[in-house]
Amino acid sequence: MKRTSKDGRCKLPDNTALKQQQLPAYRLQLSATGVLSGFFATGVFCLGVGIILILNAKSIKEIEIKYTEICGNCAKLREDATNFDKECTCSIPFYLSETMQGNVYMYYKLYGFYQNLYRYILSRSNSQLVGTDLKDVGNCAPFSKSHDGTPIAPCGAIANSIFNDTIILSYNLNSSIPIKVPMLRSGITWWTDKYVKFQNPSYINLSSAFAGTTKPPSWAKPVYELDEEDPGNNGFLNDDFIVWMRTAAFPTFKKLYRRLNRIQYFTEGLPAGNYSFNITYNFPVTRFRGEKSVVLSTLTWSGGSSLFLGLAYTVTGAVTWLASFSMMAVHLMLKDRKMLFIQQ
Amino acid sequence: MTVPKEMPEKWARAGAPPSWSRKKPSWGTEEERRARANDREYNEKFQYASNCIKTSKYNILTFLPVNLFEQFQEVANTYFLFLLILQLIPQVSSLSWFTTIVPLVLVLAITAVKDATDDYFRHKSDNQVNNRQSQVLINGSLQQEQWMNVCVGDIIKLENNQFVAADLLLLSSSEPHGLCYIETAELDGETNMKVRQAIPVTSELGDISRLAKFDGEVVCEPPNNKLDRFSGTLYWKDSKFPLSNQNMLLRGCVLRNTEWCFGLVVFAGPDTKLMQNSGRTKFKRTSIDRLMNTLVLWIFGFLVCMGVILAIGNAIWEHEVGTRFQAYLPWDEAVDSAFFSGFLSFWSYIIILNTVVPISLYVSVEVIRLGHSYFINWDKKMFCMKKRTPAEARTTTLNEELGQVEYVFSDKTGTLTQNIMVFNKCSISGRSYGDVLDVLGHKAELGERPEPVDFSFNPLADNKFLFWDPTLLEAVKMGDPHTHEFFRLLSLCHTVMSEEKNEGELYYKAQSPDEGALVTAARNFGFVFRSRTPKTITVHEMGTAVTYQLLAILDFNNIRKRMSVIVRNPEGRIRLYCKGADTILLERLHPCTRELLSTTTDHLNEYAGEGLRTLVLAYKDLDEEYYGEWAQRRLQASLARDSREDRLASVYEELLGATAIEDKLQQGVPETIALLTLANIKIWVLTGDKQETAVNIGYSCKMLTDDMTEVFIVTGHTVLEVREELRKAREKMLDSPHAVGNGFTCPEKRSAKLTSVLEAVAGEYALVINGHSLAHALEADMELEFLETACACKAVICCRVTPLQKAQVVELVKKHKKAVTLAIGDGANDVSMIKTAHIGVGISGQEGIQAVLASDYAFSQFKFLQRLLLVHGRWSYLRMCKFLCYFFYKNFAFTMVHFWFGFFCGFSAQTVYDQYFITLYNIVYTSLPVLAMGVFDQDVPEQRSMEYPKLYEPGQLNLLFNKREFFICIAQGIYTSVLMFFIPYGVFAEATRDDGTQLADYQSFAVTVATSLVIVVSVQIGLDTGYWTAINHFFIWGSLAIYFAILFAMHSNGLFDMFPNQFRFVGNAQNTLAQPTVWLTITLTTVVCIMPVVAFRFLKLSLKPDLSDTVRYTQLVRKKQKAQHRCLQRVGRTSSRRSGYAFSHQEGFGELIMSGKNMRLSSLALASFTTRSSSSWIESLRRKKSDSASSPSGGADKPLKE
Repeated sequence: MKRTSKDGRCKLPDNTALKQQQLPAYRLQLSATGVLSGFFATGVFCLGVGIILILNAKSIKEIEIKYTEICGNCAKLREDATNFDKECTCSIPFYLSETMQGNVYMYYKLYGFYQNLYRYILSRSNSQLVGTDLKDVGNCAPFSKSHDGTPIAPCGAIANSIFNDTIILSYNLNSSIPIKVPMLRSGITWWTDKYVKFQNPSYINLSSAFAGTTKPPSWAKPVYELDEEDPGNNGFLNDDFIVWMRTAAFPTFKKLYRRLNRIQYFTEGLPAGNYSFNITYNFPVTRFRGEKSVVLSTLTWSGGSSLFLGLAYTVTGAVTWLASFSMMAVHLMLKDRKMLFIQQ
Repeated sequence: MTVPKEMPEKWARAGAPPSWSRKKPSWGTEEERRARANDREYNEKFQYASNCIKTSKYNILTFLPVNLFEQFQEVANTYFLFLLILQLIPQVSSLSWFTTIVPLVLVLAITAVKDATDDYFRHKSDNQVNNRQSQVLINGSLQQEQWMNVCVGDIIKLENNQFVAADLLLLSSSEPHGLCYIETAELDGETNMKVRQAIPVTSELGDISRLAKFDGEVVCEPPNNKLDRFSGTLYWKDSKFPLSNQNMLLRGCVLRNTEWCFGLVVFAGPDTKLMQNSGRTKFKRTSIDRLMNTLVLWIFGFLVCMGVILAIGNAIWEHEVGTRFQAYLPWDEAVDSAFFSGFLSFWSYIIILNTVVPISLYVSVEVIRLGHSYFINWDKKMFCMKKRTPAEARTTTLNEELGQVEYVFSDKTGTLTQNIMVFNKCSISGRSYGDVLDVLGHKAELGERPEPVDFSFNPLADNKFLFWDPTLLEAVKMGDPHTHEFFRLLSLCHTVMSEEKNEGELYYKAQSPDEGALVTAARNFGFVFRSRTPKTITVHEMGTAVTYQLLAILDFNNIRKRMSVIVRNPEGRIRLYCKGADTILLERLHPCTRELLSTTTDHLNEYAGEGLRTLVLAYKDLDEEYYGEWAQRRLQASLARDSREDRLASVYEELLGATAIEDKLQQGVPETIALLTLANIKIWVLTGDKQETAVNIGYSCKMLTDDMTEVFIVTGHTVLEVREELRKAREKMLDSPHAVGNGFTCPEKRSAKLTSVLEAVAGEYALVINGHSLAHALEADMELEFLETACACKAVICCRVTPLQKAQVVELVKKHKKAVTLAIGDGANDVSMIKTAHIGVGISGQEGIQAVLASDYAFSQFKFLQRLLLVHGRWSYLRMCKFLCYFFYKNFAFTMVHFWFGFFCGFSAQTVYDQYFITLYNIVYTSLPVLAMGVFDQDVPEQRSMEYPKLYEPGQLNLLFNKREFFICIAQGIYTSVLMFFIPYGVFAEATRDDGTQLADYQSFAVTVATSLVIVVSVQIGLDTGYWTAINHFFIWGSLAIYFAILFAMHSNGLFDMFPNQFRFVGNAQNTLAQPTVWLTITLTTVVCIMPVVAFRFLKLSLKPDLSDTVRYTQLVRKKQKAQHRCLQRVGRTSSRRSGYAFSHQEGFGELIMSGKNMRLSSLALASFTTRSSSSWIESLRRKKSDSASSPSGGADKPLKE
């Protein structure tokens, strides 16, 4: 930039649009036609989207069963931490009156579990989870090392508090022999989580890879033995683990647990009938007065969106329409006055 | 040879032995100053300051520490430093350290760069001044030295037109009697020449060898800033010589009309009066600045409140829930109770929520102001073609205040007027000359003037003189006796000195520009004043040299209001020529010329109506006897120091005619004043000039009009008189039929009632007050009375005011009116006022640059003021207000989300957004669009703000950004933050992604909220931007693009692979933003946040439109209708006002001429002058100088003495 100094005083300022503040520009003007038509259009849009979303949400079949109280004795058992090695199972029968068409997803839902506390979110080590540095437990306080100083893998409060109930859904076809509903435990994580964010340390043998570390205090088994059935689903790459590690934004949340494998009887989805959840109750929630439930749900193109969005859109659309009508009224009333003013 | 009536007290004191003890040293312990000529060793003992000046603040080494220290004295910067320290405490820290340090370093760096550049230019100008060359007498020979190497006690030689390097004691000069002429424009703004004289003993030291031997010692007062006084003693050769200001040449003066002179350095560098006067400029802050600081404090209070609420929430939560949740998340080791946890979370929340006090606010404000300053510098319409000077914004901190000015205080000479006098018209024995006629004989309009009169017949004519009426020249050539006598008078009756460097190359040295104009006119019309001696005047009358014997000059003064000369022409007739004010002269005229009198009076009225300064010319033939008698009487009178009215001066005289001189107003002054008045800006003229001149100018620049109900003139000499006059003025205003209220409150009560009563006054009044009365009116017990009276008047003119009084008047208005004041002036006498006012404007391109140096804005013509205020100022204010509103809005919308989230995350000080987003939000994602708006926005085109001066009013009333507007912005911000949090919350709580996985994970939520925030604030800035230039488009779209680019980059696999612990959001952007639900949420949030704003604005536009809205709307309609062009009507004036006596208020060279002191020794027969009279002349000149300085009203007639 040029300075208008005393010496170079005979400088005529440049006659550019920028310097003379004459840049060609669009002058924003809230004209009546523009605003009103904008409002009407927005109203139409919102109402349309709202109705579609509501219809969408209505088409979703969802069933939720809270099992903290149903499995009350298990809950009581788990309140005492010393009983960690005692197994407790609980069966919850329920009746599905309508077929759940299409893909069915099974979630566990926790009430009052604060995955969004500042120190909780922070308490993990990504460099450990990505398999590069198992010993890096710097951020994992207060679960970084065991009493004897061995680093915990996976370290941190998030990993330590993993949801460890096992839920098995059975279908009572003829009210006699329950059929285990085939469930997939794959495809419940983000691709980036499974293939970028979480990696096992590179060793031929997973257990030796985790040598020199210890399991989190609340865990029954070390991380490389999480899934006995599928050896590929162990270590940091365990899907349930990855799902848990993606912390929830709010104290009440549901996380995807399994999805229906549409084979045999279940190609169309879950047929109506009698079912039961067989739950191995491990995760204590009564300690913090929380609750847990299991959810079965279908899905639409917009995901399992709730009614909220649809309702919000509908209301917004309606209000916008109302507003635009009243604005139009005001505008028409004042139009004559305004013209008078301008002619003055 | 003449003696003033009374011995001025000042001189009496200066002549007495100086009383050091009374004077306090201005600093340090220097009680008196001793300087011995040519003795550096001796002078070094005292360690006086050298002549090196330093205005810069830093050098390379000290820059960083000093600058940082200065910057951390800013409250905002310390606040952020404090935050930074807080963040380093792990228990408290809820954000990474870089979220604060990156913006802070950026802010500090920008400011440091700016300071460094400023200081660099100061260094440069210091160097330039310090390296000027001057000739110093060292070891008996003259040597070239740089200014900075000149020491106290050195003798330096100055040459014509050189700047004086330091405060010097004048020793000798090329002129006789050690006289020398200086121009003090840089010091006091007066452009006329002043005389200084060396004391007699040193004035003979003309050659170097004698000067080298000079070893006198000066003992004088310590350095001070009083320009007009100096007291000291010269000890030389065992005798003492008193020294006064009359012997001093001050730094900053320019030597004129003197070939050379020698001076002894007494004060050097920072001790000089010039430097002592240029104290560091007080840092000016705008009212928006102050408001902003208050608001920041409020916000800080608000922040603490939020912190407390959340801390209490945290304590309760930890107590109720947290204790039971400890199996999953045990408390920190240091935390032993819920209460302590709450305490820590208070600090954590202070850190998180600190973004409500935006760190980039101050920097952005600076950047915007800098942009506005550049626009002022670049403005072609404020570039003066004639002087080739652009407008200059010398400070970059006051721009928006230009949009709020309510009072303009203007100097007259050089500001409203050009200080150029032009012989414009004349009336000779009843005939008026000088109208500009076009070919058809009609009065020509400006701009279509025909060719000026050709003076080529006269080899001595001044080419620069222009006259458009050829009839006058014809009359001269025809030999019309009246015309000849008229010009003869002009060539004889004056105190101008001539200088003829080459044959025919005449230069006139006039004490007042009026006289110069008249003599030049006579010269061009063939009556060339060629030279003068104390006894004679030689005039070339139509080519033949005629020498008149000069018998007496009766110089003008304020009582007589005329000047006369008595000359004997070659034929031996004695004639008295007189020119003077019409009021005085017309009543002394011979009654038989009644008819002539009335036509001349008509002409005078006509001239005055055009704003010209008029003089009436008359003559009288005297017979020898009468003259002899008078001369005798005069001599006696002067000897007796009698002040009685001199009878000769009041005899009847015969009218010759009248002249009209145009005190050339600067271009466009009346229009500018009219426009500013329409914009509700009150203009006060503060001038050092005489009342008549000031009032005259008031009329010619349309401040005063004949439509005015009354012009009050306050000229009281005592407190009581002034009070009475003010009271009467008020009573008249209230008594007038227009007056709304008639209950007059006692002035002593100075209650608010007084204000309200006087502000309701209808009718137009004006107030003229002179310096004497002003001194009383500004006393503590009367200032409010004065102020209220003055503010009720449409126009206020203060004349004969001192620089200090100018500042006092400004200060008075500033203090009691809570209004923004602007002072505009060109001379050093305006410096105090310029520094006092909120905004100081200097007129550049004149000779003195003191005013410009002290000013905040400088341009070369008064008329640019309208553009500065109505266009630049208005826009600056508008932009700054819009900027601030938006800025607070966006930060509240951004930050308050954390507050709402606090209720859902156990008050654990978890942020909603990614920490990178927090770092970059203010400095990258949202900074440029709002800056572009702050720099480029326009509500109406610039022509409209000139057409509708009322558009300026919102600024004066401070409507666009005040506490109310602030709360509206805050409310909007909070509203946005509520929606920004709760809509995604509502959606996320239940929803899942389209592949069935969880949607409501923290990171997706963070990205959704951040994205919708960026989009909402971008749409909002789009709405706020009234003027979408390509730059705005670029910045707004660019910001959005940058947001997404950075978002995807930060969430990319590559960065995660490198720093897995820093970039935790890997894969988030593509996973989250691929969800239709997320986009539906963002859209809904945007619609819900923006629609009410649009609706509100639209309704306001329909129901309660601003003037600017209406103008804009009209514009739109007009464009459709192909509108007609409006143009400002030029206001014409017919006035009955008679202009006054048109001379400078200082007496001329009359005495000097008659004494012959200024004549070259060679050119004069000095025999007739006794030594006694010569010394007495100098005495009396000195007295007169100090007299006119101390008592402007002056004495009565100067009695003649021969």
